[in-house]
Amino acid sequence: MPLLTDSFPLPVLADRGDAGCACGAARPRAWRSWESRREVPARSAEFPDGADLPPEGIARRGFLQVAMASLAAAGFTGCFRQPAEDILPYSHPPEGLTPGVPLHFATGLEWDGLVVGLVVESHEGRPTKVEGNPSHPASLGAAGVFEQAALLGLYDASRARTCRLEGQEVAWSTVQEALEARARRADEGAGLRFLVEPTGSPLLLSLQARILERFPRARFVPFRASLPEGLHEGTRRAYGRPLDVVHDVAREVVVSLGADFLATTRPGNLVLARDFLAARKPESPNRLWVAESALSVTGGFADERLRAKPSQLRPLALALAAEVGAALQREEWSRLRPPVEALSDAQRGWVRRAARDLLAHRGRGRVLVGPESSGAVQALAFAIDEALGNAPRLIEPVARPLGGLEALASLVGELRAGTVDTLIITAWNPVYAAPVDLGLAEALSRAPFRLYHALHEDETSAHCPSFVPAAHAFESWRDGRAPDGTAAVLQPLIAPLFPAAMQEADVLGVFAGLASQSPHALLRALWREWAGAPQDFERRWSTWLAEGVIPGTRAAPVHAELEEHAVLAATREPVPPASGLELSLVLDAKVHDGRFAGNAWLQELPEPMAKLTWGNAAWLSPATAARLGLEKDDVVRLALRGQSLDVPVLVMPGQADDTVTLALGYGREAPEGVAQGVGVNAFRLRHLDAPWGASGVGLTAVGRREALALTQEHWSMEGRELALQVPRARLTEELRALRPLQEDAPHLYAAPLRTGAHQWGMAMDLHRCTGCGACVVACQVENNVPVVGKEGVLRSREMHWLRIDRYFLGDPDDPGVITQPVACVHCAFAPCEYVCPVNATVHSDEGLNQMVYNRCIGTRYCSNNCPYKVRRFNYLEYQQREPLARLRQNPSVTVRSRGVMEKCTYCVQRIERARANARARQRDLRDGEVRTACQQTCPTRAIVFGDLNAPDSEVKRRHEDPRHYRLLNEQGTQPRTVHLLRVKNPAPRGGT
Amino acid sequence: MSQVDPQVPAPGDALVTHPLLTGRHSDAEYSESLLAYVHAPPTRAWWMLLGVGLTGTALLAVAVGVTLWVGVGAWGNNIPVAWAYGITNFVWWIGIGHAGTLISAILLLFQERWRSSINRFAEAMTLFAVTCAGLFPLLHLGRPWKFYWLIPYPSTLRAWPQFRSPLTWDIAAVGTYLTVSLLFWYLGLIPDLATARDTARTHRARFWYGLASLGWRGSARHWRQWRTGYLLLAGLATPLVVSVHTLVSFDFAVAQLPGWHTTVFPPYFVGGAVFSGFALVLTLLIPARKALGLEQVVTLAHLDNMARVLLVTGWVVAYGYIQEHFFAWFSGNPYEQHVTWAQHVGPYAPLFWLQIFCNVLVPQLFWVARLRTNTAVLWGASLLVNVGMWTERFLIVVSPLSMDFLPSAWAAYRPTWVDWSLLVGTMCFFGTAFLLFLKFVPAVSMSEVKELRREVDESERFREELGGAP
Repeated sequence: MPLLTDSFPLPVLADRGDAGCACGAARPRAWRSWESRREVPARSAEFPDGADLPPEGIARRGFLQVAMASLAAAGFTGCFRQPAEDILPYSHPPEGLTPGVPLHFATGLEWDGLVVGLVVESHEGRPTKVEGNPSHPASLGAAGVFEQAALLGLYDASRARTCRLEGQEVAWSTVQEALEARARRADEGAGLRFLVEPTGSPLLLSLQARILERFPRARFVPFRASLPEGLHEGTRRAYGRPLDVVHDVAREVVVSLGADFLATTRPGNLVLARDFLAARKPESPNRLWVAESALSVTGGFADERLRAKPSQLRPLALALAAEVGAALQREEWSRLRPPVEALSDAQRGWVRRAARDLLAHRGRGRVLVGPESSGAVQALAFAIDEALGNAPRLIEPVARPLGGLEALASLVGELRAGTVDTLIITAWNPVYAAPVDLGLAEALSRAPFRLYHALHEDETSAHCPSFVPAAHAFESWRDGRAPDGTAAVLQPLIAPLFPAAMQEADVLGVFAGLASQSPHALLRALWREWAGAPQDFERRWSTWLAEGVIPGTRAAPVHAELEEHAVLAATREPVPPASGLELSLVLDAKVHDGRFAGNAWLQELPEPMAKLTWGNAAWLSPATAARLGLEKDDVVRLALRGQSLDVPVLVMPGQADDTVTLALGYGREAPEGVAQGVGVNAFRLRHLDAPWGASGVGLTAVGRREALALTQEHWSMEGRELALQVPRARLTEELRALRPLQEDAPHLYAAPLRTGAHQWGMAMDLHRCTGCGACVVACQVENNVPVVGKEGVLRSREMHWLRIDRYFLGDPDDPGVITQPVACVHCAFAPCEYVCPVNATVHSDEGLNQMVYNRCIGTRYCSNNCPYKVRRFNYLEYQQREPLARLRQNPSVTVRSRGVMEKCTYCVQRIERARANARARQRDLRDGEVRTACQQTCPTRAIVFGDLNAPDSEVKRRHEDPRHYRLLNEQGTQPRTVHLLRVKNPAPRGGT
Repeated sequence: MSQVDPQVPAPGDALVTHPLLTGRHSDAEYSESLLAYVHAPPTRAWWMLLGVGLTGTALLAVAVGVTLWVGVGAWGNNIPVAWAYGITNFVWWIGIGHAGTLISAILLLFQERWRSSINRFAEAMTLFAVTCAGLFPLLHLGRPWKFYWLIPYPSTLRAWPQFRSPLTWDIAAVGTYLTVSLLFWYLGLIPDLATARDTARTHRARFWYGLASLGWRGSARHWRQWRTGYLLLAGLATPLVVSVHTLVSFDFAVAQLPGWHTTVFPPYFVGGAVFSGFALVLTLLIPARKALGLEQVVTLAHLDNMARVLLVTGWVVAYGYIQEHFFAWFSGNPYEQHVTWAQHVGPYAPLFWLQIFCNVLVPQLFWVARLRTNTAVLWGASLLVNVGMWTERFLIVVSPLSMDFLPSAWAAYRPTWVDWSLLVGTMCFFGTAFLLFLKFVPAVSMSEVKELRREVDESERFREELGGAP
């Protein structure tokens, strides 16, 4: 495994395991910045300072203030920004630390029960940037939007800070005593229940096992909003027991029935995207078939996309099995064929062609089914795969305890019966995310003692008199497993910012009788035992921490026989008939189940396909919207089983007709801050028997409008050659037609001198870009890019240096989709440069178009003259200046003030750091040594940056690729970033 | 060597069908009547208008304060529409100033006699308009407190402005314009200030007018030097009529944005500037002429002439529109074509057709001689032209920005209350300044009217000597 580049990769935080606190008593003070030593003032909002000022109208309270100041000293506001605080010297730095040189620590983030390995950059003890860990099998160097944005959650001012016991604010030790009293019981735990999230963490699972040993009649109830997943039900049907599947999508044909495996919205998807693209060489691309109801990242990337209602995924699977079975002469399979009226002609044709494609690539295909589909459909997919020789890799389930919503339902039953006296909740926000018909909030009050452990005081904590604030993942010692079972120790980057914050292991430890041991000590003990207590454990432990994985922990494949009869029997089970408008509830691409709703970076990240920020919307197809007489922003009332919800409409091309797709995770009531009041709470339409939506939903216009904040309003390319994709069959001739977009246009002026030793350039391969948005977050974090809030987005003032343009092609009802990352392209003839009156944007001899912030006076002429409109302007004071927010900033990048233009710099700070590094070692920069933030995190390696002067650099190869073209080449700007066109591989038509 | 004829006063202008002065008055009577408004205590109407103006100016102060305090984000600008109301107002106000310079300088050099009664008026308007205009480039900066970086001064940073940028040319052009206009106006004012001093009824007025008239005694030597200086300044100001708005148009023409990048902009902008300037002169002159009782010196001849200028410059503007459309088609540039086409049918279509109505159709009224001297029609038309020209500037600035090359970046622009307040506020400030001008300074140049009266007398006498008709 490649070692990480820090000269001293050991975690400085590693303590001796003797302290009660997770961080160790010896050193944490040194690791905490001076700001955190004092009480950080609580701020209600995570919005930037300017964003809560209404651009339209002035806040009532501010009026007099402004009116007075206008005549006096208004012009001088920019001059007085010195904080009136004392500062302390950093006089005792930890070993191995050079001030100004960041360290990188391997750690990871567990979500949905699985870990994605990460490398976190730390400046003087402050984690500032999250990247993927190249050694970790769920990352391979990439990080998705959630992993990267989790960093902001660490510095979230709305985090809970104090423990409560029966409504009284107390210290953790008091809570601990109370819990110990609860643990002294004679009923073997009959009244003791834990509501936990399924986890792969060996530490937590061992604690759970230990608790169950002490209290055999206690129970751990799994709950997570992303449950139930049909997968375990499917493997139970197909293989007799619940199993996990390690998917391999590096296949020639992939058929997805509602599986959005290319988006970064599930822990395993980063690797799936990487694998899939590995089999998608532009010259010989594989083929992707996707049937789905709402346009997803995967659907947008598909070669053959089919619109289908959620209820039609089952007949599609049946029809696919029937087609495959007929070709394989399996009698009983052909009887699976669904009734004719279940599918349209087009859908049947799609199935026939997909089946033919799968049959033509036996052993080289894969059928994927979305996690929302029922067990029967999942099992059928396994049967098709097995029949075609595409057997999946099965492993024992990683995250436990197993179970779906029925476990929560039985807990509610017990609560109602009054048999639960102690309920410990560590699962995220069950009161908010539980099905509405369960009545969990009301049932909770029946438990005499209920304690909630979470990062925030949220909807659930309002129903729990006892509360323990949780430590953030980057403040905790724990471990976890990747989707393939590989274990990793997740080390903290910083001592808890709020001293009262405790880890889940601290809480469970009390009941396990291990309260005296810190999670760190427990963790070391566990893994020492696993390793067989070797002599060199210290060395091995250090290596594990440094590399971020524990070797030899990958789960062994399980051999299981497919039980075909059980699969077929499952398909015969009746399903409720679907009629009318179908509601589909989906996990959000940006806030997941709502746990990231307080994250301003994610709120402002455009949804990959809809480009929607700050809220959710009811997606309707253009045809359905026209039939109902609705337009974008019209508020409609969705009614289902007596529950109703008012939500604005978004007319979404590619949406299946007569379906409504609504994202979960919005409409949070607590905590105060970013999350509150953004969007509507779709969990209110979630029912126990229909967790992912239902048919027959009522939809009536309310007659009100509510503006949705989209970052891209215009769908069409207007016939311009911007984001290009061509079918494989026409590739050769299209490449010839690409010449005018590759060559320099005639110019009156001499080209700028290229005197620098390095000439930086970038290539963005549309063939590899799925539009997932990971690069957008990476850029935002790396470059201290501020958020502007919903008002700002509505005013088109979003600050993202890198945006992903999404265009629809063809029929708006069933369009083709293409995504195109666009950032500053660093034109050789930069239109921005010659119009700046103060020389604030100039060209470097290495080809960078540089922005000199402190020279900029904000005429915005450069933005007007930029044909790519990639420049961003600080219309208001967007940067947060409270101490907690300042901890997060990357110190290598200037924080821009109000009134200054900014844009992509090609991560010039990374270039300079690499240059300094190389100079110190008295050698030249090597290709690949400088990696921009967007390039580093891209799961599909669509972005390549490097030196065009280096003879054999990857970026030079891509600049010479016949697929490359320059965006708006006819403007004569000669951009340094080129795009590479996308090759589509639609199945040949003709015949049926 | 041929004998040079003695200077013959021009015998009547065939185009001028109305007398330039009605009635004959002595110098003292002119001084009396033209200074009457200055020396009389302010009227009730004046106070009321001033109240309105000051209220609007207070609104302007609040809007300026908010802009400086909150940031230019208090405006509705965004990315891609980074320039909007601010620059629109700037171009509009600058354009309005052009009438003053044209009347003072070019018409002076061409010895057009009808300028005499209205030049003071128009020059004052120029000054106030340029002041209003100058406010916007400052306010629209992201960091207005660094505005001086636009000026080439010997900075210890050793950083100069970037001279390829039209914005640095703008600073020079507008700065020169303001300076020359101020000097020209003030120089023309000196003899009249002296008259005001000599006729002042209070000691205080005499003191202040005396101070302002810089010791003018009306000696022949004074008059000679004064005339030389005035002519020199007129010579300096003449190129400014063309250059200022040409440079302002370069802000757009030099950019590569479709809809901005076009060579027709300089003449088109200058034509539009004179057009809007004359419209505003009419808008203000018609009521002021009534209120101040200036009908005898500002006669139908003046109104008639100005209406003709409106007609001519209206056609210059129309020609610009035709050129824009022709070149959008002829260039074969799809971006250019899209911007032009979208103006007709897109979200800005109502504004576009309003602009065509106001700027092209309305001036055609003035083909009819009767309408050229009908004050009500003239006043209404001049108001519409002002609206039309503002709309044109708005469309030029905003619509190309909101839909340029990459459709993904397109976005609409919505003004905020601050934008509106700045527009209305500068209008009120302009009005206030104008009211004060009417009150404290003779609105019509007395010395030139007196001179004109003599010229008219001379030419009439000459005609009589010749024996009647020319």
